[in-house]
Amino acid sequence: MHIVTITDEYIKERIRGGMRNDKRGLMSYRDITIGVGTMPNAEGSAEVNMGNTKVLAGIKIDLSEPMRDTPGEGNLVTSAELLPMASDKFDAGPPSPESIEVARVIDRGIRASGMIDTGSLFIEEGKVWTVYIDIYVLNYDGNLFDAGTLASVSALRSARMPKYENGAVVREGNLQRMKTANMCTSCTFGKIGSEILLDTDGSEESFTNARLTIANDSEYVRAMQKGIGGSFTLAEIDKLMEATFEKSKDLRSLVTKASGGD
Amino acid sequence: MKEKKELMKEGKRLDGRGMGDLRHIAITANPIKNAAGSAYIEWGGNKILAAVYGPREALPKHISDPQRAIIKCRYMMAPFSSLEEHGRVGMNRRAVEISKVTKETFESVVMLEMFPGSEISIMIEVLQGDGGTRAAGITCAAVAMALSGIPMTDLPYAVSAGKIGSDVVLDLNKIEDNYSDADMPIAVNPRNREVTLLQMDGEMTREEIRKAMDMVIEAGKTISRIQREAILAPYQKASEAYG
Amino acid sequence: MKRLVIPGEILAAKPLRLDDTIVENGKTCSTAIGLFDEERGTMIPLEGQWYPRFGEMVVGIVEEAKLNVYIVNLNAPYKGLIISKYAEGDIRSGDVIEASVKELDKTGTAVLTRPRVLHGGKILRIKPSKVPRVMGKGNTMVRQIQAGTKTSITLGMNGLIWLKGGDIDLAIAAINRVQNEAHVPGLTERIAKMLGVKPESINGAPEEGRHHVHQGEAQHVEEEGIQEPME
Repeated sequence: MHIVTITDEYIKERIRGGMRNDKRGLMSYRDITIGVGTMPNAEGSAEVNMGNTKVLAGIKIDLSEPMRDTPGEGNLVTSAELLPMASDKFDAGPPSPESIEVARVIDRGIRASGMIDTGSLFIEEGKVWTVYIDIYVLNYDGNLFDAGTLASVSALRSARMPKYENGAVVREGNLQRMKTANMCTSCTFGKIGSEILLDTDGSEESFTNARLTIANDSEYVRAMQKGIGGSFTLAEIDKLMEATFEKSKDLRSLVTKASGGD
Repeated sequence: MKEKKELMKEGKRLDGRGMGDLRHIAITANPIKNAAGSAYIEWGGNKILAAVYGPREALPKHISDPQRAIIKCRYMMAPFSSLEEHGRVGMNRRAVEISKVTKETFESVVMLEMFPGSEISIMIEVLQGDGGTRAAGITCAAVAMALSGIPMTDLPYAVSAGKIGSDVVLDLNKIEDNYSDADMPIAVNPRNREVTLLQMDGEMTREEIRKAMDMVIEAGKTISRIQREAILAPYQKASEAYG
Repeated sequence: MKRLVIPGEILAAKPLRLDDTIVENGKTCSTAIGLFDEERGTMIPLEGQWYPRFGEMVVGIVEEAKLNVYIVNLNAPYKGLIISKYAEGDIRSGDVIEASVKELDKTGTAVLTRPRVLHGGKILRIKPSKVPRVMGKGNTMVRQIQAGTKTSITLGMNGLIWLKGGDIDLAIAAINRVQNEAHVPGLTERIAKMLGVKPESINGAPEEGRHHVHQGEAQHVEEEGIQEPME
C-alpha cells in the first residue's frame, strides 16, 4: 500500500516541465511484463503488469451454435471484469459501463485486425467454436485498454485449440495452438490540460479530460475510441497516430517474446 | 447415484498421495497493491487471489451496524477457471452460499467491535479451480486479513476432508471431489481448535467423521505454518537484508 | 529478544496488559502482526489500523463543504468534521487540510479543529501503523528526511502525508523505505546514508515504536484520551 495521490496543481506543474509523476517522459510506457500460460486450465492465459496495473486474460473455447447471420463462422466473445479487489473505486455487481467499454474496444481491435479467422472456427453445419476472452482486472492503476489488449492478444496467441472428436470436445492431450494471424496492440493517450500523455496511471487518469485509444497492426489503424468529456484537435489525432505506429513496434515485440511465434 | 470411478491404486491416491496427505501449498503476500492486505495461494491446482479492503464507511448506510463492523464477502470463480467449458459469468447460488459461510467464518475471529459503523470486504477470486476452492480461499483470505492490520483473535485455516470408497481422505482434488462418497470442508481457529465452518454431504459414519477431524487437525499444523511463513516473509526479507 | 508474531499467537502464559493483544484463559494472545519483546514485555504492531485520538494531527481531503460544517476524508472508516465557524479563511471542497483531532463522537466521526489548508504539493498514503516510524522519536526521522530532500513534509497520524517542494521523489522513496524496513534496527542510520545527511538523534536514545509517538500535548492527554474500544 504505497498509493500516491497527486494534487491537480502539482501534476500540471510537473507535466508542463515535461515530466511525469514517476519521472517518465510524456510519451513513455511504464515497465511492462507479460507472463503467458499462467492458468493452465484455460485454453490460453496471460498476465500483464503495466506498472501497478495487473490484468489477467483467460481464453476458453467452447462448442456452440453459429450466429444466425454468420452460419459459416465461429464467434468471439470478449468480456472485462473490473474486479472489486482491484480498486476501491470498483463495485461488485453487474458490469459497469466502464468495463463494457474496455471489453468492446479491445474486442474491436482484435476483430478488425483479423487476428482470429472466424471462418476457421467453423466445424460442421450448426456447430462452430466460440472463443471467449475474459479480461480480469486484478489491480487498477490506469490504462486498462492497453494492458487488456496485450493480455488478450498474448493469451490468444498461446491458446491451444480443442478438438471435436466423435461428438465430444477434447481439451487435453496433444493439441495444436489456435491459429492466429496478424497482431493488434493499442496505445491509449490521456490529455491533461493541453498536454498529452501516453499510458496514464491511476492518479493521472483522475485528472484526464480526454482519452484516445488507437489500436493498430503494423500497417493499419484497426480501432479507435475517444473517451471522457474533453476533445482532441485533428492535428493532435494525427500526431498520436504517428506515435502509436512508433510505440506499437515495442509492444508487438514484447508480445512475440512472451508468446512465441512471429 | 454418482458414477463410480477408480480413485485408488495400490493403497494410494491417483496423484500418489496417502489418505491424510495435503497437496502442495504455497502462499505469497500482498500481490494486490491497492488492497489493505492481499494474498495469492496455489494449493494443488487451485490458484486463488484474496484481498481485504477496509475498514471503510459501510455503504449503503442502512446496512451498517452502530455497534460493530460488518463483513462483506464475495467468492467468485473466474469463467476460465475450470478445464471444462466457459463458466457462467456472475454470482450463482453456489458462489452466494460460499460467500456467506466464508463471511461467517471470519466473523468469529475479526475484532469487529473495534470499528463500529464500518465495513470490511473480503474478496476471493478463484482463477483456477481444482477442488477445495472454498477451503483454499479461506486459508488465503486469513493471510490477507492479517496483512491488512485488522485485528484478529486467531488465524483460521480451512481444508476439506471426505471419503472415497471405504477410505477417509484429506484434501480432495477436483476428480476426487467429483466421484467421492463424501466431502466435508472445515475451517478451524487453531488456538482453541474451534470449528467455524463445517459443511458436509455424502455418507459418513460418526467414526469416519471423527477420523476425518483428526486428519484436519493434523494437517492444520502444516497449513498454519505455511500461513505464518507467508505473513512474516516480507518482514523477514527486510530483516535479513540489514540484520 | 524480540520475535515476530502473528494474530492468534500466544505471547505469554500469563495476562499482560498490552495493546494489540487479548487475554484468554489467563494467556496473552497477539491480535496483530508485530514484534514482541519477551524480556521487556512490549509489543510493537507492524500492521494496524488508526484510531483518532485527542490532539493528534491528521491530514485529510475536504470532501464536502456544507453550510455549517466541512466533511473531511481521512482515509479511514471515520470521517473528519470541521465546524465552519471555527475555521479561519476559505476552505473549499477538494482542499487538502491539516488539522488536529478534538474528539471522536459517538457516530464515529472525528471532530477536527485548527484546520490549515495545504496548497499544491502531493499526498502520499502509507499504512497508519508506520507513521510513528516515519516520524521517529522526537521527530528525528522526518527531520532528517526534510534535511536530505529539502521537501516540506506534513505527517498525518491517519497515514496521509503531504509533501511539497525539494526532491519529492527522493522523499517518497525514503518514506517507503521506512515503511518497509520499520521493524529492522538501524533504520535512522540507513536512511541518513541514503539521503547523504548526518543521522539525527535525540540524546542518543534508541529508536522505538509507537509508544513514543504522541508528541507534545497529545502526550499529556493520552491517559484520559479516547482509548481504543477493546472488547
